[in-house]
Amino acid sequence: MTSVKDPVPNKPPVWKISAWRSMYPGMWSWVLQRLSALALIVLFPIHVMNPYIDSVRITMLLLVVWHSMHGIKVILTDFGFPDRHQRKLLWVLSAVGVAAFFWLAFMHKEYWRFMS
Amino acid sequence: MNEDAQLSEGTQEKPAQEEPAPEKEAQSQEAPKPPSVRVRIRRGGAAGDPDEHFDEFQVETGPRMTVLDALVAVQSAQEPTLSFRYSCRVGMCGTCALKVNGRPAWACRTRLEGLGDEITLEPLANFPVLSDLAVDMSPFFEKMKRARGWLEPTSLAEKAPALIAPNSRERKRIEPHIECITCGICYASCSIVGHDSDYLGPAALNRAYTLVNDSRDALGLERLLEVCTEDGAWRCHSQYNCTESCPKGISPTGAIKGLKRRAVAGGVKRFAASIFRGRAPGA
Repeated sequence: MTSVKDPVPNKPPVWKISAWRSMYPGMWSWVLQRLSALALIVLFPIHVMNPYIDSVRITMLLLVVWHSMHGIKVILTDFGFPDRHQRKLLWVLSAVGVAAFFWLAFMHKEYWRFMS
Repeated sequence: MNEDAQLSEGTQEKPAQEEPAPEKEAQSQEAPKPPSVRVRIRRGGAAGDPDEHFDEFQVETGPRMTVLDALVAVQSAQEPTLSFRYSCRVGMCGTCALKVNGRPAWACRTRLEGLGDEITLEPLANFPVLSDLAVDMSPFFEKMKRARGWLEPTSLAEKAPALIAPNSRERKRIEPHIECITCGICYASCSIVGHDSDYLGPAALNRAYTLVNDSRDALGLERLLEVCTEDGAWRCHSQYNCTESCPKGISPTGAIKGLKRRAVAGGVKRFAASIFRGRAPGA
């Protein structure tokens, strides 16, 4: 029907703010999970070499909690959690993640040099 | 004439300004300026066209006016060469999908109210653009074919009409998914389609899900194997862009997850059966 020989798909450019502004929560969840994974790949060797850098530890804790919460979301939906509630699940797990981060970070003050 | 011009310049254009002013006032008293929006429309041919640009049009708005009404108003009164596609005007055909303020939507079911004073209209992403807002849907339907988006009836179905009770589990499982009208919005909103042009996309996989779950369909496992590949269901990253943007409220992500579950369950069954028979899996 159409006479398009070399169709160039119309892709939204990543560097334009409009492409990011129109993103949905689920997409943000995925993007942040990917970014946290990349950051953890960089931070993990640093942590293994010197485990007592507080800034690295606390950043890693935040990233690991964040990454795992969104991983749990994908696992739950993969195993049949109803999709119509996926946004709510995202918010609930994010809240759980933030709470877990603060609990882990501040309930064990002896772990952190800057607090003890 | 020269004298007049000199006079008006010399007297700082006072008389010229005063005269039309009462007329304007009278006009505004009789009929207040109707509300209007500025519509920015992407113009030009295929993506990357050097002539690609945005044209701005001022459109008078009325109650319950839609984006499609605005487009028709622009085409009939201001820019007859504007290209866009529509058919039914009532949200049945899915022809008029485009990007409204960055998000894919049906022009016919998107009201101007609440969109702001400036509305940006662009063609759907991930499709080759033909002209202005009209896109080429052929890659979308090619993938529908690749996923074998049609019923291959069993020999049983040829003998008598198959009955699937409305309250049956089978019917309820495919309930929202059969409502797809192939408008392409999920395909345009999927970032994985933008990344991997071979990916079947949410609509084709959603269709495959309805057929895999259809007891009248004879292709069952064959279809499942064809659809659950690297460029099929397993490529989905659960970003939920398609679910969020679908105007029919379908969750293609849920359909894809359903296909994945079916594939895994089939694989596990096969593995268990092979162990039970005392043979290596696949032997």
